[in-house]
Amino acid sequence: MSISDATTAVSAELAARDDMIVCEGVDKWYGDFQALKGVTATVKEREVVVVLGPSGSGKSTWIRCINRLEVHQGGRIIVDEVELTNDTRNIETIRSEVGMVFQGFNLFPHLTVLDNITLAPRWVRKQPRGDADAKAMELLERVGIPEQAEKFPGQLSGGQQQRVAIARSLAMEPKIMLFDEPTSALDPEMISEVLDVMKDLARGGMTMMVVTHEMGFAREVADRIIFMESGEIVEVGTPEHFFTNPTEDRTKLFLSQIL
Amino acid sequence: MTIAENLPKALVIDDAEENALPPVEPTVPAGKWIKENLFSSVGSGILTLVASAIAVLAFRALLNFAFHNSARNWAGVPTNIRLMMTQAYPDSQYVRIWVSVGIIMVLAGLTLGVSPHRPVVALRKILSSMAAIGVTLAVGALLIKNNIQTDEAGEFIRDEDAEVLRVSWGEALSGRWWVFACAAVLVGVATIAWFALGDRRRFIFFPFVGWVYFLMGLVVCSLWVVPYGHYALVDGAFIAEKGVTVKNSTQLPWTVMWVLLGVSFYVGRLGLRHIKRASAFLYLLWLLSPYVIIFVILRDPALDYAHVWSTDVPMFLGFAVIGGAVLWLLTRPNLGEPGKILASFLLVVAIFNWVAGFFGWYPMLQKARLSFLLLALFALAASNFAGERKIRMGYVGAWVATMAILHYLVTMVNTAATVESNDFIGGFLLTLVLTVFGLTLSFPIGVLFALARTSTLPIFRLLSTLFIEVSRGIPLITVLFFFATVIPLFLPEGMEITKIAAAVVALVLFSGAYVAENIRGGLQSVRRGQFEAADALGLSTVQRVGLIVMPQALRVSIPPLVGQAIATYKETSLIAIIGLFDFLLIANTVIPAQGEFRGQRFEPLLFVCAIYWIGAYTMSRYSRNIEQRLGVGTR
Repeated sequence: MSISDATTAVSAELAARDDMIVCEGVDKWYGDFQALKGVTATVKEREVVVVLGPSGSGKSTWIRCINRLEVHQGGRIIVDEVELTNDTRNIETIRSEVGMVFQGFNLFPHLTVLDNITLAPRWVRKQPRGDADAKAMELLERVGIPEQAEKFPGQLSGGQQQRVAIARSLAMEPKIMLFDEPTSALDPEMISEVLDVMKDLARGGMTMMVVTHEMGFAREVADRIIFMESGEIVEVGTPEHFFTNPTEDRTKLFLSQIL
Repeated sequence: MTIAENLPKALVIDDAEENALPPVEPTVPAGKWIKENLFSSVGSGILTLVASAIAVLAFRALLNFAFHNSARNWAGVPTNIRLMMTQAYPDSQYVRIWVSVGIIMVLAGLTLGVSPHRPVVALRKILSSMAAIGVTLAVGALLIKNNIQTDEAGEFIRDEDAEVLRVSWGEALSGRWWVFACAAVLVGVATIAWFALGDRRRFIFFPFVGWVYFLMGLVVCSLWVVPYGHYALVDGAFIAEKGVTVKNSTQLPWTVMWVLLGVSFYVGRLGLRHIKRASAFLYLLWLLSPYVIIFVILRDPALDYAHVWSTDVPMFLGFAVIGGAVLWLLTRPNLGEPGKILASFLLVVAIFNWVAGFFGWYPMLQKARLSFLLLALFALAASNFAGERKIRMGYVGAWVATMAILHYLVTMVNTAATVESNDFIGGFLLTLVLTVFGLTLSFPIGVLFALARTSTLPIFRLLSTLFIEVSRGIPLITVLFFFATVIPLFLPEGMEITKIAAAVVALVLFSGAYVAENIRGGLQSVRRGQFEAADALGLSTVQRVGLIVMPQALRVSIPPLVGQAIATYKETSLIAIIGLFDFLLIANTVIPAQGEFRGQRFEPLLFVCAIYWIGAYTMSRYSRNIEQRLGVGTR
C-alpha cells in the first residue's frame, strides 16, 4: 500500500482544522472475506469527502462502520473525539451526532413525512412537539417540499423521499452527514434534485462523507476524493488531481471505465 | 345531482352527496350475463348445471335436516336458551348479567357515535336482499319433504310408531302457506319499490348503523308480540307455557338494551365526538371493560368489603402514588447515573423480596412483591421515556393503569368463593369469558415471546424458542388437563386455582405461543433498512422496537392474528373435557338428557354452530375492515 506524497497532500488551511473522523487501520471481515484492509483516513471539520471505487470495494462497508451499523474488528475509529467501542453510550452519542442517508431511503412507512422527521428529535433529543414540528417544517422548506408534510412516504416520488430522508437526518442537527449512495436508487430525472440539496448542504459548511457514483458531484463539491479498491484506499487527492492527473494505475483504469 | 336534491333530505346522507353521482356501471342484460358467465361454452354449461343441481340438493338436504317436521323439534332450543347462554346463573343475581350487557351496549353506542367512519348501505342493496330472501324462503318451502306423521284425525303428532304418510304436494304446500305469504310480501315490496323509484333507487343511501339498529328494533319488538320460548310437552304436543316464556324474562331487558344503544349512540355523535381524544379514551374503556364485567358477573354476593377498603385499596393507592412519583422523577431529562442507580437498587430490593419470601424471612403479600418487581422494571425502562411533560405523564399513567389492573385482578381472583360452584358460570357466557381473556392476555404474551425469540440475547432466544416449540408441540386438551389436575398439586399451601382460572391460563399460554409466531412473521417482514435507519437516528432499542418495528410488524400480522383469534374462540369449546359446562357441552349432553327433549341433539348443536359462526364471521369481517383502514395511503 503505497500512497504517493502528491495524493495525500492537502492544503495547509484544511490540515489546520479539527479532525472530525479519524480511521486508523480499520479492518472488517465477513467470515473469511476481508472487506476492509487497514483503512486509514482523516476527515476534517467542514470538509466534503467523496469516496469512489468499483462496487464491492468496501466503500459502503467503511461508511457504515463509522456510525457502527457494521462493527469493525481491527483498528480504531474516532468520531468527534469519541472512540467507537462496544460501549453503548459512546455508540448512542456518536449516532445522534452523525446523520446518515441510505441508498434505499429507509423512511418509516407507517409515519407521515412530518412524523418521520420529528420522531428522533422528540424521542432522542426530547424536544417538545411544537418545536420539533416547527424545525421539521423549516427543513422541509429547505429541501423544497413543505407541502408534502402530511403525506405518507409511499405517496412520494423517489427523489422526494430521499429529500425527506436528508431532512430527517438534519433534524437531529448532526455535525457529520454520511451519504451511502444516495442517488443510486433514483430514476435519472430525480437525481439532480437530491444532488442540489446535498450541494446546498456542502456550501453551508457541513462535514460530509459521500459514497457515490456521481462524478459530476464529486468534481464540483468534493474537497478531497478517496479512491478505494478491494478494501484498501488506493489514492487520495483533490478532485483536480484525481480527475486530471491520477498517479495510480488502478485509479486510471477505473476512470477510463466510467468516464 | 338533481335527482338527489329532489329526494327528502332524511333519505340522502352527506357522504352520498360528497361522492356526487359516481359514474354508473353499464348494466348488462340478464340474458347476456347468463350466457357470458354461466354458459360460455359447452363444458362450462354442463358444469353450471351439475353444480347447481348439487347446490339445490344440498340445500334441500340441509332444510330437511333442520326443519323436517317428523324429525326435528326446535322447541328445545328456545326453552333452554337461558341455560345455554348463562347456565345455572342464579335468577336472584341475574340483573348483573343485564348490567354487563348494558355496559357493552353503552360502550358500543358511544364508539359507533364517535367513529368518523360512516358506512352507508344502498337502498338498491336492501331491496335486492329482500327479494333474494323472499325467493330463498319460497324455494325452501317448495323443496322440503312432504311426508309427515299424523294420527287418525289427521293431526300432526310426534310418535315414532305413528304411520308416516306421504301427503300430496298441494296439501303440504298449503300447510306452509305462511312461508309463501312472507316470501310474497318481501318480493312484492322489493319489486314495487324497485320500479316505483326508478332511477332514483341508485342514489338513496341509509346509514349502515341506523339500518342495523332498525333491524334490531324489529327483533326487539317481536319479543313483545311473539311468545318465543319455554315450551312444555302437553298431550304429545309442545305448547308455549304462559308466564315462563323466554319472552317474559327478556323483553324488558332487551328493550332497555336497545334504547341504551340508541341513546349512547347519539350521546357519542352529538356530544362526545367534539371532545379531543374521545375515541382513544373509549378504546381504553373497551380494554378495561372485561375486567369490570367479569367482576360484576363473578363477584361473591358476600364480598368482604372491609378487607377491600382496609388492604386492597390502600395498597393500590400506595403503589400508584409512590411508584408514580418515583417514575416521574426517573423520567426527568438528563437524569443520568443517579437514575440508573436508583432503578438498579429497586430491582435488587424486588428480587430480595422474592428470596425472602422463599425462605420465609418476613411476610409480604404476593401482590406487593409483584408490584414491587413491576415498579423496578418500569424504573429500568424509564430513561427511554424521559422528555417532555406529555410523554412523562403518559409513562406514569401507564404505571398507574398497570397497578390498577393488577390489584383489581388479584382482588377479583381472591373472591373465588363465587366460582367454586361450577354452576355459577357456564354456557355461552363462559365461552365469552374464556375468549376475551384468552385473547387480550395472550396478545401481550405473544408480543413478548416474539421479541424474545428475535432478540440478540441468546438466553432470551433459547427460553422463548423452548416455550413456543413446547406449547405448539402439545395438544390443547393435554395442556388443559395438565393445568386443571396437575398444577393444583404443586400450588403452595392455602393457594387455590379455580378451574376457570386454570383454563384461562392454559388457553393464554397455548395461544400466546401461536400469537408469538404470527408476530415473529410480521417482525421478519420489516426490512433491515428500518432497523438501520432507527439505529442511525440514535433511537434506543426499546424505542426502535416500540416506535418503528412493532407498528409495522403488527400491521402485517393482522390476518394471521385474526385467524388465531378465531381459532382460540372455537378452541374454548375444549374446556368441556375438564368439566366446565360451556354451551357446546350443554347442547350436546344436558338438553338431550331433559325429559321433554330426550335424545334431541341435532337442534341444539345446529344452534351452537350458528352462534359460533356468527362470532367468527364477525371477527373476520372486522379484521378486513381494519386492514383496509390501515392500508390506505401508507404502503
